[in-house]
Amino acid sequence: MKNILIIDDASTVRLYHRNILEASGYEVDEATNGVEALEKALSGQFDLFIVDINMPKMNGYEFLQNLRKENITQSPAVMVSTEAADLDHDQAFYSGANLYLVKPIKPLQLMTYVRLLMGEESA
Amino acid sequence: MALLKRKKASITKSVTKTKDCSQLRALLIADSAQDRRCAARDLIGCPHASTSLLEQLACEQETSVRQVILSSLTQIGDQPAVTGLVHCLRSEDVSLRNEAIEAMKHLPEAVAPIMANLLNDPDPDVRIFSVNILESLCHPAVETWLIDVIRDDKHVNVCATAVDLLGEVGSPAALTELNNLKQRFGDEPYIQFTADLAIRRIQGG
Repeated sequence: MKNILIIDDASTVRLYHRNILEASGYEVDEATNGVEALEKALSGQFDLFIVDINMPKMNGYEFLQNLRKENITQSPAVMVSTEAADLDHDQAFYSGANLYLVKPIKPLQLMTYVRLLMGEESA
Repeated sequence: MALLKRKKASITKSVTKTKDCSQLRALLIADSAQDRRCAARDLIGCPHASTSLLEQLACEQETSVRQVILSSLTQIGDQPAVTGLVHCLRSEDVSLRNEAIEAMKHLPEAVAPIMANLLNDPDPDVRIFSVNILESLCHPAVETWLIDVIRDDKHVNVCATAVDLLGEVGSPAALTELNNLKQRFGDEPYIQFTADLAIRRIQGG
């Protein structure tokens, strides 16, 4: 079973994404900020990361930069944010994200991209 | 005797600080991060300290110095400090924005008079960050502000952020507007999810 790590400081958002992913058969773990997520990424194996941008202690950009710079994993990462500005898209991809989605994310939209990024569904 | 020594040291330190404000301002832009940290800490009490601290905050790259600057601004808590922190909410620098949000959570008396304006800012991101500030702002009007947001704000993510918080701090007074919001955003699964969760939490006591 594939593992997904949801990183978001909003508990309701984590629960919403967890429900969608678990209903589709994925194993899900959670982190509330980038520091906690890095610790989990170092000790566990994740096939995908869903990362919020605005978080305390370590934001989503910093988390992804550390993840890629330290070569912890090259598993795909979806960056999610309330911000739709081009600058945020650019910074997300520069940080190591594979996809940028603007909240709120609809269940079908999330599952389509998750499957695509994990090579389970063709475009 | 020890108490007397401490008191004397405290007075001496206070006088030194008064005399050294110009020196502290110079140290605030020194090359050494340790000097900048000390200056940011000791500038409290100097005239126009908030202005000097905010000027340095705008260009400070060292996280530890920024933290001390924000801590000092929080302790000062005057109008220039709050205005400067509001300005940080508009920054493209995510860390600075988050640090400003955390600082403003500790200034309920200073932030409360401007909260209505912040929640009506033309930029939806500023409105979202303002709701984030309400998360830990110990003020009796928090629930009223949140209810106003979910009743009036057109932006789905501003409303979603407010609903998330109402699920934690809301009372039965929020139920009518939570149900109205569900109707207003009937095609947004996340709003349905978070509003239902908030309603259940409120009704559950």
